[in-house]
Amino acid sequence: MALHLNLLHEEILEQRQRKRDPLKIGILVLVSCGTLLFLYYGWNAYQTFEIKAKLNAIDGDWKKLEPQVTQAQKRSAQLTDLINTTRVLDDYIDNRFFWGPFLEKLSRCVPPNAQLTGMEAGVLEDDKGVTITIDGVAAAREPRSAAEDLRQMLLEQLGKSYHDVKVEFKTLEDVEAVANLGGTNVPMARYILSITLNPNAAAKPAATPAPSRTKRRNESS
Amino acid sequence: MNLPKLSKDQIKKLLLSTMGLIFLLYVYFTFFLGPLQKIRDGALAQIADRQQKIDGSKTEMAKAANLERQAKDATARFATLKAFSPEGAPIAWFPPRMKTFFASQQIDRAVARLESNANFKQSELAAWTKYNWLIEMPQADFAALGKAIAELENREPLLSITKLTIHVVPNEPQFQQVGIAATTVIEKR
Repeated sequence: MALHLNLLHEEILEQRQRKRDPLKIGILVLVSCGTLLFLYYGWNAYQTFEIKAKLNAIDGDWKKLEPQVTQAQKRSAQLTDLINTTRVLDDYIDNRFFWGPFLEKLSRCVPPNAQLTGMEAGVLEDDKGVTITIDGVAAAREPRSAAEDLRQMLLEQLGKSYHDVKVEFKTLEDVEAVANLGGTNVPMARYILSITLNPNAAAKPAATPAPSRTKRRNESS
Repeated sequence: MNLPKLSKDQIKKLLLSTMGLIFLLYVYFTFFLGPLQKIRDGALAQIADRQQKIDGSKTEMAKAANLERQAKDATARFATLKAFSPEGAPIAWFPPRMKTFFASQQIDRAVARLESNANFKQSELAAWTKYNWLIEMPQADFAALGKAIAELENREPLLSITKLTIHVVPNEPQFQQVGIAATTVIEKR
């Protein structure tokens, strides 16, 4: 068996130690890591530049669009105001109480033997209805019946066009004066009628004029 | 695993390298990658914001165009309603207008007086004022009055009669004394 003698073992050991020098390995690791990190940073920076470029493009688009949008918003607000105002005005117009049709109905209800001498009417606030006070005289053999006929007629006719119609006598009294109807003297009664109604279902304004009462009044007097 | 035995010097060097690595990582993340990420996130947020605005603006513009089409009728109606009130103070033009109107309806001597005026509570009518008028007719025929009132209500949509009093003229039962309380809605000029 041959004998092997390693006469350079010290040198070999030194060489091995140099090879696994932690500082050298550490520096190598550091450099490798640094390179990787730098590359990663470069990639991120590139992406950021791309994003910035996209942002600039979008910013440019927005700057072009912004005045148009502001104008559109302003116009929208104007139009919304206008629509709302028109709607409120239309409501105001539609919720009016139309006196023309009422006067027409009233004139049609008065028979030849009754006469109206005065009327006071008003629309209650907050659309709560209309109140009318009518005073007049009725002449007939039974003047109170003639006045009652008028009340019934008003109740019936006004009820066709309005809601919650109430026609009540505030006063109904005989008077001493007599009226000449068709050459006959008949007694007279004086009355005050109170009418309340709700115009929610009121008819639209009449295009036709109220019929003449002058003739009737002349007939009845 | 058989780890090689490290000398004191080697351990020192290893610690130094580790510290260097930690320092490098700290500098890298704090001064390089961190700010870059911040810029990137900020830019992305801005892009999202702008994109949202652009998308919203497209909707807004479409809405405005749609509203413009829808508002055609309202615009025409509004212009018509505005045209009912001429330029100038209402007290200057309303009483003559009423006088002329009733004269054309065979009712002479109609006098209109301004009672009061007030602003509306509704915000929609902030640009409009309510005027209360008293129109007196000392002598009117009932039939002509009925016709005139119907015509007035049709012709003046912004006029609303709130009170009406009719009384027989003494000694002339064919005529009536008439008082009309009316409210008009007039645009502020």
